[in-house]
Amino acid sequence: MNPWLFVVAAYAVACLGTLGLTLASLVAMRRAERAAESLKRR
Amino acid sequence: MHAFANPTRFLSLARPLTGWLGWAGAVLALVGIIAGLTLTPRDYLQGETVRIMYIHVPAAWLGMAGWGGIAAASVAELVWRHPLAAIAARATAVPGAVFAAICLASGSIWGRPTWGTWWEWDGRLTSMLVLFFLYIAYIALADASADRGGGARVAAIFGLVGAINLPIIHFSVLWWRTLHQGQSIGFTGSTIAPSILWPLPLTTIGFTLLFTAIILMRMRMLLANAKLEARQRRMGGAA
Amino acid sequence: MKAKNQRLVLTLAALGALVAAALLAMSALRNQASFFYSPADALRDHVRPGQAIRLGGMVEKGSLVREPDGVTIDFRVTDGAASVAARYTGIVPDLFREGSGVVAEGRFVAPGTFVADTILAKHDEKYMPPQIAGSMHETKSLKP
Repeated sequence: MNPWLFVVAAYAVACLGTLGLTLASLVAMRRAERAAESLKRR
Repeated sequence: MHAFANPTRFLSLARPLTGWLGWAGAVLALVGIIAGLTLTPRDYLQGETVRIMYIHVPAAWLGMAGWGGIAAASVAELVWRHPLAAIAARATAVPGAVFAAICLASGSIWGRPTWGTWWEWDGRLTSMLVLFFLYIAYIALADASADRGGGARVAAIFGLVGAINLPIIHFSVLWWRTLHQGQSIGFTGSTIAPSILWPLPLTTIGFTLLFTAIILMRMRMLLANAKLEARQRRMGGAA
Repeated sequence: MKAKNQRLVLTLAALGALVAAALLAMSALRNQASFFYSPADALRDHVRPGQAIRLGGMVEKGSLVREPDGVTIDFRVTDGAASVAARYTGIVPDLFREGSGVVAEGRFVAPGTFVADTILAKHDEKYMPPQIAGSMHETKSLKP
């Protein structure tokens, strides 16, 4: 068993998980703030 | 008006802080990861798989710290009825669950080559899995109570009660014989050689800053959504 | 008393009761929640032969013997206080070696003699590079 396989798998899970969470939170925040902003202007 | 005074002050602080914390955390975590993958020596027993520690430990810490934050916010909500407390608790649930899951997954991937098993029901592993399920239950509960409104206190009580699992996770390796090894890093020192240890603070601080930025993003999202709903309700009432 | 203080006292009291209840439950679970028996526990508790248990401890230095068939190994599991002879047929994890931790799943066939179906290596909390470990851990590994 190549140990690097396990290392890479663990890092992939951690990095993709963190990246996905960050981007999802960022997009959701932007969308909500823009919606609130546009409603104020109307 | 009292309810809006605090969020306004909070937002003026949170808006610049989100970017700063996010970028600082991402850079620190990346430096730590690269160092942990390339610069440190392997362990005399585990070999290269010791490098999984640099992500496993921050994930475990954040999974537990996340619930600590939920519990603290729940106290603030129950006792002082602080308007931001419920928002902060709800914003922490999903990131906490994600990092608890990363902790479980990376630990499992480490366990296969080290212990010879993906999973065993020992005290540490089981209590950490319980934490993950508590997050799932909290998310469901907070969503349900937010929809109906007013029931947010149920989620706060659950957040407080669930905190009892945190000392159980921490002390599981002391109280019970577990497959998981004991604590390596204490207040008095560490049983990890310095040449292996040094990237760990980088990734831990990095992921923690990033975690804080994510919570700020989610709090801003929840505040904007609340504002939106309030305005829509008012316009609906006027029409 | 102001409502705010009342809520504070109530919350703290509930929290205190919760912690007390949990500590009680945990101390009651102390034995059941252990993942494995140490050799001394297993001998003291007179674990019945044939009962499926996990036995954990150190692989005693100098006790590891490979049988002529090439896949069966004999070794002793020790916790410092007592030691038990164990036998296992199969592939062991890389980290299984003399002087290291082990958790064996199996059963006693006779008092003090254990037959394992599964071997897990238990890692301890010490991490160090090979150069430092060096001569300290010149233990014989099972790698041929």
